Amino acid sequence: MYILKNSLVSIIRNKGRNILIGIIILVIAASSTVTLAIRNTAKRLVKNYEESHDIIASISFDRQGMSAKFKGGEDAKKENIEAFNSIETFTIEDIKNYGNSEYLKGFYYLYATSLNSDSLTKATDSFEYEVEDRQTTTSSTSKTTGGNSGMGKVPGGEFGGRERHTTINNNTTTVITKSKEVFQSSRNLTGDFEIDGYSYYEAMTDFISGTYKVTDGEMITDFESLECVISSELATLNEVTVGSKITLKNPTSSEKTYEFTVTGIYTDNSNTDDTKNMYSPSANKIITGSGVIDLLVQDDSSLTTNITPTFIFKSKDVVDLFIEEVKQKGLNEYYTINTNLEELENATKSIENVKTFATTFLIITLIISSIVLFVINMINIRERKYEIGVFRTIGVSKFKLTMQFVLELLIVSIIMLMIGATCGSYLSKPIGNMLLQNEIEDTQNQEQEISNNFGKGPMDMRFNGNKQVEEISTIDAVVDVNVVVELLGIGILLTLISSLASMISIQRFSPLTILKERS
Amino acid sequence: MGILKLENVGYRYKDAPKDSYVFKDINYEFEQGKMYAIKGKSGSGKTTLLSLITGLEKCTEGKVIYDEKDLKKMNLDKYRNTDIGIVFQSYNLLPRLTSIENIILSMDVSKVKIKNKKKKALELMKSVGLSEEHSKRKILKLSGGEQQRIAIARSLSYNPKIIIADEPTGNLDKDTENEILKIFGRLAKEENKCIIIVTHSQNVCDEVDTVYELIKQ
Repeated sequence: MYILKNSLVSIIRNKGRNILIGIIILVIAASSTVTLAIRNTAKRLVKNYEESHDIIASISFDRQGMSAKFKGGEDAKKENIEAFNSIETFTIEDIKNYGNSEYLKGFYYLYATSLNSDSLTKATDSFEYEVEDRQTTTSSTSKTTGGNSGMGKVPGGEFGGRERHTTINNNTTTVITKSKEVFQSSRNLTGDFEIDGYSYYEAMTDFISGTYKVTDGEMITDFESLECVISSELATLNEVTVGSKITLKNPTSSEKTYEFTVTGIYTDNSNTDDTKNMYSPSANKIITGSGVIDLLVQDDSSLTTNITPTFIFKSKDVVDLFIEEVKQKGLNEYYTINTNLEELENATKSIENVKTFATTFLIITLIISSIVLFVINMINIRERKYEIGVFRTIGVSKFKLTMQFVLELLIVSIIMLMIGATCGSYLSKPIGNMLLQNEIEDTQNQEQEISNNFGKGPMDMRFNGNKQVEEISTIDAVVDVNVVVELLGIGILLTLISSLASMISIQRFSPLTILKERS
Repeated sequence: MGILKLENVGYRYKDAPKDSYVFKDINYEFEQGKMYAIKGKSGSGKTTLLSLITGLEKCTEGKVIYDEKDLKKMNLDKYRNTDIGIVFQSYNLLPRLTSIENIILSMDVSKVKIKNKKKKALELMKSVGLSEEHSKRKILKLSGGEQQRIAIARSLSYNPKIIIADEPTGNLDKDTENEILKIFGRLAKEENKCIIIVTHSQNVCDEVDTVYELIKQ
C-alpha cells in the first residue's frame, strides 16, 4: 500500500518531470489510438467484406492452351477440329465429385439447355408479317388464280416468300402480291428458349443480387419437377399467367415435348447498354431446376447442354489446394479454375494499404517512443539515485522499489492514455477517411495515367479486370473496446520497456556506494 | 547475552589481493541498554564495518550474528526495517518529503504494526527535541542538527533493538553534538536500546560504555 502512496506523492512532488513524460505519452496515446482505430476498423471492414463476398471459382476452357497446340495450314484444319473434339468435357457427375471437397463451403451449378415451342412466341424483335402489293390493269375477263411466285428481294428486310393472287373483273385486272418480310435478330440460340436449370437456390445469384425478382407467383419449389419461372416479357407476350402450362419441345426432335407449369414470373431489373434489341437478354430465359435438365438429357442425350459450376471456398488459403485436388480428380488439362480472389483483393486493396500504413506508423511510433521514454527514465533514475539509496538503507526491497518506480510511470501512463484515447477517438474518423481518400485518389491517378497511355480519357473499366466487386470507399474508424484494450496493452508494454532502466539500475546500485557518493 | 555479535569478521574488497584485508578477526559483542563506539583513523574500515553490521554488505570472513541468527541467513531488508535503525552522518532523509513524512515512511516500510503513525511520529519528534511545527517542514528547511534529530526519530519509529549511527555528530557543532549524545544515552538507559556509534570523536568515546578501536591493517 505504501508503494502506491509513495508513487502518488512522488508524482505530485515531481511535477516537471512527470508533465514531460505525460506529454510524450499523450502524443503516443493519441497517435496510437488513431492508428489502432484505423487498423482495427480496416481489418474489420476487410473481414466483413470477405465474409459477405464468398471466394468462388468456376471452370473455364483454356482456349490459349488449346490454340498453342494447333497446327497451321489448310491441311491441318481437320486435325485441329478432331483434336478439339477429343477434349473431354466435364459432366454433372464430375462437378459433384469436384464439389465434394474439404476445402469448400459448398458448390452449385447452372445446367442450361435450349428448347423450342409451338405454342409460345419467342420474345424477339425478329418476326414475319405479310405485305400486299396491288397492281390493277383493265381487261375483258374475270377470274382468280393463286400460287407462289418464288423469292424476291424485299426492301427493308431479308428475302421472303411471295404469293401472287390475280383477280379479273370485267376489264380491270388487280394483281395482289403477298410477301413475308423477316426481321432477323442478331441473337443466335440453338433453341428459341434458354432453359437454366439451377442446382440450389444459392445458385440463383441473379435473384439473390436482385437483378431478377419474382413479381408474380413464386420460385420453383421442386428442382426435379417440370416447374418453371418465366420472364415478365415472355409472359406478357404470350398471355401466360402463374399456374399456366407451357409446352416446350426438343429443337432437334419435334416429337419430344415437355409440359411445364409456370410457378412464377420474374422481372429483369438490370440496365443494359444494348440499344439494338427491344427485349432484355433474359426475355426468353426460363428458370427451372437442374434435375429437370437431367431428365431432358436422359430423354434425349443429343440435347446440347452447358454446365457452369461455382465452387465456394472456405477461405482464401485453400484455393491452391482445391485446384490441385481437382486436377488430381481428373479435370482435363484444357480446363482451368478461375477464382474471384484477385477481384476481392483489388476491392480491398486501398483499405489494406491504409491498414498497412497505420500498422507501420504504429510500430515506428512505439519504437521511437520506447527509446525516448527509456532515455528519460534513465536520466530520471540517475537523478533519483540518492532516493534509491535511502529507500534501500531503510529496508525497502529491490522488488518493491522497482514496483514503485514502475507504478509511478504506469499511473502517469494510464491517465495520459485515457486523455490520449479521447483525443484519438475524435481524430481517428477524419484522419482514417482522409488517408483512404488519398489512397483511392492515388489508385485512380495511376489508372488515369494508364488510360492516357491508351490515348483515351477515363476508361470505364478497371485494369485489374473486373468492376463487379465494389470497392470500400469509407473507413469510419471507431474507438471500440478492442482499441482501448490494445491501447492499454501498449501502455503497459511501453511502461515496462521504459522502466527497464530503473529495474536494472535498482538491481545494480549499491546503497552504500550511492550514499557515500552523496556524502 | 549480546544482541549482536561479530565472530572473526574479516573483509576484503573483491578485486583486492588475497591477503589484503580492510580488517580481519574482529570479535565484538554488543548488548542492549549500552552505548558503544567504534573508533579508528580514516581508512581503518569503520564505515565498512558499519555496512556489515547493517547488512548493506556481507563479510568475506566470519559471521555477524543478530539475536543468535547469522545475518547471511536472514532477510536483510526485513532486518533493516524492523530490527535495526540507522543514522547517517549526512542524515539521508528524502528532501521531497516533510519531516513527519520521512518518519512515517519508515513506519510504512517496517513490518512492525503501529497504530496512529502520525501521533507516534509527533511523539518521537518531541522526544528528540523537535516541535509539531517542525513536522510540516520540508527537510531542506531544517538545520543540520534538526535533520539529524529527524534521522534519529526515523530510526526509532519502528522501535528497533539496535541503533547504529555513522558519525552522527560529524556535521554538528559541539552543543548540538552533546544534545544528540544525550538522546542516545537516554535511549540506551531508558529504552534499553543498543547504541553503536561509529566515530572518530573523542567526545563521543567519552560518553559511551565501551569503545572498540579498529586498527588499520
